[in-house]
Amino acid sequence: MVPKRPETANGPGTGQDGAVPERPAIADATGVGAASTDAARQRLALAQTALLSALVAGAPAPEGFDRERLRVQSRALAAKRASVIAKVAPELPGILGAGYRSAFLAYAQGRPLTGGHRRDALDFAARLLAQDLPADPAARRQLAQWWQDRAGPRPPRSGPVSRLVRAARLAFRRR
Amino acid sequence: MERLGTGIGWRPEIAAEIAGLPGVDWVEVVAENLCPGHLPPALEELRGRGMTVVPHGVSLGLGGAERPDPGRLAALAERAVALDAPLVTEHIAFVRAGGPPTGSPPLEAGHLLPVPRTRDALDVLCENVRIAQDALPVPLALENIAALVNWPAEEMTEGQFLTGLVERTGVRLLIDVANLHTNHVNRGEDPAVALDGMPLEALAYVHVAGGVERDGVWHDSHAHPVTRPVLDVLAALCARATPPGVLLERDEDFPEAGELAGELGAIRAVVEEARGAEAA
Repeated sequence: MVPKRPETANGPGTGQDGAVPERPAIADATGVGAASTDAARQRLALAQTALLSALVAGAPAPEGFDRERLRVQSRALAAKRASVIAKVAPELPGILGAGYRSAFLAYAQGRPLTGGHRRDALDFAARLLAQDLPADPAARRQLAQWWQDRAGPRPPRSGPVSRLVRAARLAFRRR
Repeated sequence: MERLGTGIGWRPEIAAEIAGLPGVDWVEVVAENLCPGHLPPALEELRGRGMTVVPHGVSLGLGGAERPDPGRLAALAERAVALDAPLVTEHIAFVRAGGPPTGSPPLEAGHLLPVPRTRDALDVLCENVRIAQDALPVPLALENIAALVNWPAEEMTEGQFLTGLVERTGVRLLIDVANLHTNHVNRGEDPAVALDGMPLEALAYVHVAGGVERDGVWHDSHAHPVTRPVLDVLAALCARATPPGVLLERDEDFPEAGELAGELGAIRAVVEEARGAEAA
């Protein structure tokens, strides 16, 4: 299946939205008795979301950033995510062998991290199974079993691998 | 500030090596990797020897636009109590964005990203730090991070930003000298100038870590040996202040105990040389 393009690809804007209040000219330099930070939070939220969307969700680079550095940072985040998943779920690099890293990076490109790393590991496995990967049937069976053991409160009873793969595919589509 | 001495980041992969390393005064553990009721036996053993253990959080995102999550704060507080820690540490960073205020789905970075050095970001960070301090049973110290990207239109130097943060919150600082080296290579910021501008009287301890330069970009990998330029930044810091503690971080590609001992020895030598120069 083709993963849905993340909504963030269109970005939250670069903070130039007219609805966002400008910072008042006179700031409270001491912070003592400072007014509410709500407006500052809103401006910061838009700026940080624009940057993070560019780094993990394929959104355009926000204005003023060095594009090459954004690419370096983006790759560093994906590599970090792959190594964290390898620690959280060491069985996955075990099952996938040398193909683990490239398979994970292909998955991560279309799916930003939105929750915990355990959920990420399960989604990664489900996506591979949905694509009939890995190609080696024994590895695919192992991966299906791994997914089944962890995926949900009521996994299908152990049965033919095709049933597990169907369940994984359904689970992946629901998310 | 409580004296900690020379320490190392405790990781399960090198638990046996750490237990046997001479001259380790204290350890730091990644807070999110601990379960307070079920501490790893090797860590319990170190605690049994009276070793100080400091929880180091990575997921609060105090530099983010949202107020810190009460559940995450409570979890960090619980770990500080379970370890009887003299302080807890976190980062000056944002780790997630999106969500309701932005009309974008929630996004996790999975790592630490730099906060823009603007008055907006400082106002938000200071309020978030005060919320965290109210929720924590021990003092909080915050770490400067390594950045690969630069925010456009920043309004302050790192020194000005940290000084404002310390003055307004009383938070302590964890200065990572490898991150100052990273910012030197990647952003052209001279570590000596950065250190001159920092409120080092708030220093709680120092991080030292290895990294690697690729295509003119320094990657603060924590997977490579500590290099001379990073130790030189440590020396520059020690010439300005006596750090209560210095800690070696290694997170990947773990070497043998001998190499870790050598790196700890090199760190100790830099700190002692500065102390000797001060006494002379």
